[in-house]
Amino acid sequence: MHRETSSNAAQSGAIVVVESLVKRFGAFTALNDVNLSVGKGEKIVLCGPSGSGKSTLIRCINHIEKHDGGRIIVDGTELSNRLADINSVRCETGMVFQSFNLFPHLTVAENCMLAPMKVRGISQADARDRALGLLRKVRIQDQADKYPAQLSGGQQQRVAIARALCMQPKIMLFDEPTSALDPEMVKEVLDTMVELARDGMTMVCVTHEMGFAREVADRVVFMDRGSIVEEADPETFFRAPRTERAKGFLNQIIH
Amino acid sequence: MNTLDFSIVTQSWPYLWSGLLFSLALTAAAFVIGMVLGTCLALVQHFEIPVFAQIIRGYVAVIRSIPLILVLFWFFFLVPIVLGHLSGNGRPIPIGATYTAFITFGLFEAAYYSEIIRVGLRAVNKGQFEACQALALSTYDTYRHIVLPQVLRVASPIILSQTIILFQDTSLVYVLSLTDLLGAASKLAQLNGRLVEMYLVVAVAYLAISSAASQCVAVLRKRYALATSR
Ligand SMILES: Nc1ncnc2c1ncn2[C@@H]1O[C@H](COP(=O)(O)OP(=O)(O)O)[C@@H](O)[C@H]1O
Ligand SMILES: [Mg+2]
Repeated sequence: MHRETSSNAAQSGAIVVVESLVKRFGAFTALNDVNLSVGKGEKIVLCGPSGSGKSTLIRCINHIEKHDGGRIIVDGTELSNRLADINSVRCETGMVFQSFNLFPHLTVAENCMLAPMKVRGISQADARDRALGLLRKVRIQDQADKYPAQLSGGQQQRVAIARALCMQPKIMLFDEPTSALDPEMVKEVLDTMVELARDGMTMVCVTHEMGFAREVADRVVFMDRGSIVEEADPETFFRAPRTERAKGFLNQIIH
Repeated sequence: MNTLDFSIVTQSWPYLWSGLLFSLALTAAAFVIGMVLGTCLALVQHFEIPVFAQIIRGYVAVIRSIPLILVLFWFFFLVPIVLGHLSGNGRPIPIGATYTAFITFGLFEAAYYSEIIRVGLRAVNKGQFEACQALALSTYDTYRHIVLPQVLRVASPIILSQTIILFQDTSLVYVLSLTDLLGAASKLAQLNGRLVEMYLVVAVAYLAISSAASQCVAVLRKRYALATSR
C-alpha cells in the first residue's frame, strides 16, 4: 500500500526518496524495508510508539546514522559513503533535536553564524545579518547576544530552528522538538513550525502533537517496530485508522 | 632566641627576584608546551590512531608514575648520550641545564594535561557531535570550534590547579644547578645564616602566588558555569 504512495510521489518530483531502507544495530533490526517519499513542499508527520524507529529513520536521511541497506536520495543526491555526497545532503537538510543541542559556549548569534561561515563560506557580516534575520523570524532577535543557558527551553528550541535555517536547507527534519519542553512552551515552538510550513518548507516531523499534525501535515506516517504500517492524510488517520496497531497507539496518546 | 631581621631580605631582593622570574618563566613555558603537546596527545588517543595511540598511552603511564626529579635526571644525563649516538661520533652532546629544564617540564606536564583533556573529550555530550554533523561541519571545525573550546572551558579549573602544582615543582631545578625562587632563597640563607627570614619570605611568596591563582580558578569556575551548562 505505502509502496504505491511512494512511487507516485517519486514521479511527481520527490525531494526525499527512501527505498527499501534497512538499518541494524548489531543483531537488532531498527528499520526493516522502509519506503517513504517526500514531495517538494510536503509536510509529513511521523508518529508511532517509542522505539518504533522514527528517530532512526530521520537520522538516516541526513546520515547521522549510516544505513545498512536500501537507498536514500535527497534532492537528487544518493547517500553513499562519499564525504562529498554526505555533506551535500547535510547542507540541504536542517535538523532540530529533542534536546536542542545548542553550542553552550557560543552566543545565540554565534550558534547561528558558525556553520554558514565554515561550510557555506559566507562572510562574518553576511552570516550575522542572516542570523539576525532568522532570529527575528523566530521572534528572538533581542536575545542574539545571550548564551543558550540564559534562555528558556522554548526559546532555545527556536534558536535551534533558526540555526538550522541559517544553512538555507531545502528540507527540515524535526525529532520530537517539543517533547523536552514544559507544557507552556510547546505552543511557541509549534507556532514557529506552523509558520515555517506556511512559507512552503518541506518538513518531516516526528511529533505526537495531533493539533499540529491536523493543522499542517499533508500526510501522517505511522510506524511500528521498524516499519511503516499506515499512511494517510491527518483527518483520515486520526478519525478512522485502519490498522489495529494505529488504533491502539492513538488510544494511548489521547488518554 | 635571635630576633628576626628582614633587612637581609631587602638587601638580597634582586637575587630573589631573578629566582622568582625563572620560576615563572619555567612555569609559563612548561604550560604552553604542555598544553599544545598535551592536546595533541589527547586527540591522538581520542581518535584511537593505531600504534601512536598505544605509544602515547605508554608514555603517559610511564611519566605519571615517575617522580619529576627522576625525569629531570634521566633527561639531563641520558639525552646528551642518545644525541651523541645519533650524531654518529658517539661523544655526548650536552644540551644545557636550562634547555633540559624547559623541555623536561614541558614533556612532563604534557602527560598530565593530556589526561585531563582526554577525559574532558569523552565527557562532551553526544548531541554536540550530532548537531555539528547535521550542520555539515567538518571534523576539523567540529573539534576546533565546538569540542575543544568546551573541553578547555570545563577543564580549565583542573588545568589551572595542575599548573599551580607545576609552579611549586619548579623548585626541583636545583638538581640541575639552576636557581629558582626557592633555590635563590636557600643559597642566600646558607650564606648569611638567616634561614628563618629567608624561608618565611619565600613561603609567603609561594602562598601569595598560589592563592592568587586559586582565586582565578574560582572565578573561572563561576564564569564558565554559565557557558557550559545546558
Ligand atoms: N545507537 C543505537 N544502538 C542500539 N540500538 C539503538 C540505537 N539507536 C536506536 N536503537 C534502537 O532502535 C530502535 C528504534 O529507536 P528510535 O529510532 O530511537 O525509536 P523512536 O524514535 O521511534 O522512539 C529502538 O529499539 C532503539 O533501542
Ligand atoms: Mg525518538
